[in-house]
Amino acid sequence: MDGFVLALWVLRLGFLALLYVFLFLVARVLVRDLRAAARGPAEPGRLVVLASPQGEPAVGASFPLDAVTSVGRDLTNTVAVDDPFTSSEHALLTFRGRVWYVEDRGSTNGTFVNGQPVTAPTAIGFGDELQIGEVRFRLDRGRA
Amino acid sequence: MSAIARVRPAPRRIPNIRPRMRRVELGLLLVVAAALVVGGASLGATERWLRAQATGEAITAFGFAPPDPRGLGAYILGLLAVHAAFVLAGRRTDQILLPAIGMLGGIGLLLMQRLPQSLVTQSFGTLELGLGELQLVWLLISLAVLALLALLVRSDRWLRAYKYTWAAAGILLLAMTFVFGTDVNGARLTLSIGPISGQPSELLKVILVVFLAAYLSENRPLLAEESMRLGPLRLPPIPYLAPMVAMWAIALGVVVVQRDLGAALLFFAVFLALLFVATGRVSYVVGGMVLFLAGSWVLYQVFAHVQVRVDNWLDPFRDPLGQGFQTVQALYAFGRGGLLGVGLGAGLPTIAGHLPVPAVHTDYPLAALGEELGLTGLLAIFGLYLVIVERGLRIAAAAQDEFRALLAAGLSLVIGVQAFIIAAGNLKLIPLTGITLPFISYGGSSLLANAIAAGLLLALSDAGAVPPPPPRARRWRRRSREERA
Repeated sequence: MDGFVLALWVLRLGFLALLYVFLFLVARVLVRDLRAAARGPAEPGRLVVLASPQGEPAVGASFPLDAVTSVGRDLTNTVAVDDPFTSSEHALLTFRGRVWYVEDRGSTNGTFVNGQPVTAPTAIGFGDELQIGEVRFRLDRGRA
Repeated sequence: MSAIARVRPAPRRIPNIRPRMRRVELGLLLVVAAALVVGGASLGATERWLRAQATGEAITAFGFAPPDPRGLGAYILGLLAVHAAFVLAGRRTDQILLPAIGMLGGIGLLLMQRLPQSLVTQSFGTLELGLGELQLVWLLISLAVLALLALLVRSDRWLRAYKYTWAAAGILLLAMTFVFGTDVNGARLTLSIGPISGQPSELLKVILVVFLAAYLSENRPLLAEESMRLGPLRLPPIPYLAPMVAMWAIALGVVVVQRDLGAALLFFAVFLALLFVATGRVSYVVGGMVLFLAGSWVLYQVFAHVQVRVDNWLDPFRDPLGQGFQTVQALYAFGRGGLLGVGLGAGLPTIAGHLPVPAVHTDYPLAALGEELGLTGLLAIFGLYLVIVERGLRIAAAAQDEFRALLAAGLSLVIGVQAFIIAAGNLKLIPLTGITLPFISYGGSSLLANAIAAGLLLALSDAGAVPPPPPRARRWRRRSREERA
């Protein structure tokens, strides 16, 4: 009997406690969301290296992107790729409104989106694979 | 290197649907499920203990089964099903709203399962449904409506292009209620068409928000910039205010004739809030408040039922067994609840076979919750409403154009203001006006209307929705006037 009453107390207070656990978790998400919003617009995306035969850039490295990002072997590019199959000015990624576009800048070995060569500015979605020379990237959503 | 193949068409017309994990939503829903299971167990155990106390027999086995475990399970499964639908559809909608609404709905479900089931019964053939089962059915229908709206609404053209059609539909709905409606407790709120009956004023609040958002977003520059001076007050040019005030006056007038004071107060508060959101001018709000106070005074003088409400608010103990009975009993209930409450299921003993608060499932759920969960529980519930309003305002701030911003702000504010009006009424902070507590009160119309509002909010929060149409080119009169000057 006493055990039952005790368990009842625990359940009663447990319900209230869980309500507050829920509110606490929600508040944490909200604060994070507001902080991110206060920092201004997040980066529009990032490139994650999936495969890199020469090891430069290293597999797993990720590059935050600007709204206009150039990719190539030359060090003046936003994302410099030290790979023999990459042209010095290889490709250009542009964030137009809410969609990323990629265009080839007359590279020798071509730019590929999901294995298909890019001839004109092409829309590229988050999660798509971008191949430049022998280096394969994945376009990811920017971190908040 | 792959062979030369077709390049993917540049802008994809139909984005391919890719499942997208929603970890925040799933985590929060699991907390909701845990809380509801613990709450149900507490309710079941309390009821068993009270029965044992009454009969004097000892409790031999620990039994913690909720009173209706299958109903509770169905509700939790419903929430998870909506979550699964969102994941599979892969749209980037808000992840906080569904768990917050699910928690409120679950608390409401527990309360309805705990109240005497004979409060509301409906039978379909041989199937007899009590209060808790009916609430469960409505909750599941509302969840389905919410999910459908959140997933299917990809463009808001059908809302913004037909604003006058929506306004007309709303007025028609009210007029139909006035002509064909049935009286319940002296207020003509219920419209019955065949076997279906509902309270159109609940739906009307959503329609009102849609109309106001469309109208204000189209005429915002005029309302915000151009003004006509009337003493110390700066008023917008009358031709541009007239349709809006007419819409408001018709809604308010018919609602007053129907004696639905709560809805009238809600409409007016939302009207002022949206006007302020659209223009950012305090003078409008001040002017509206003055209008409201003057109108209230006139109503108080003219209508006997308004006087009763106000007198009850000022001194419910003048007639504690008659007019002030509900208010007094609700106050006692809050008092019994104290800080931590008496526990789910342990409150509100019936007095001579009757509930002390007759409308506890519609107008006074907060009194029951205040008694059983205490101040702590009430504050948590208010926190949940705050969360919904915060999400709505965030969605509004991130919206792509003014119509969406105003619509999101309006939809969340209508939920928040309604919760405030009925909560403040129950707590005797303002005179009681009978409206429902969103997502908690019993009632199909209320649940459905709020689910529609929440579903639209979710659709608006989608980052990948169809971009809004370009703003319509419009010649402002101001320009020609400036040219003349």
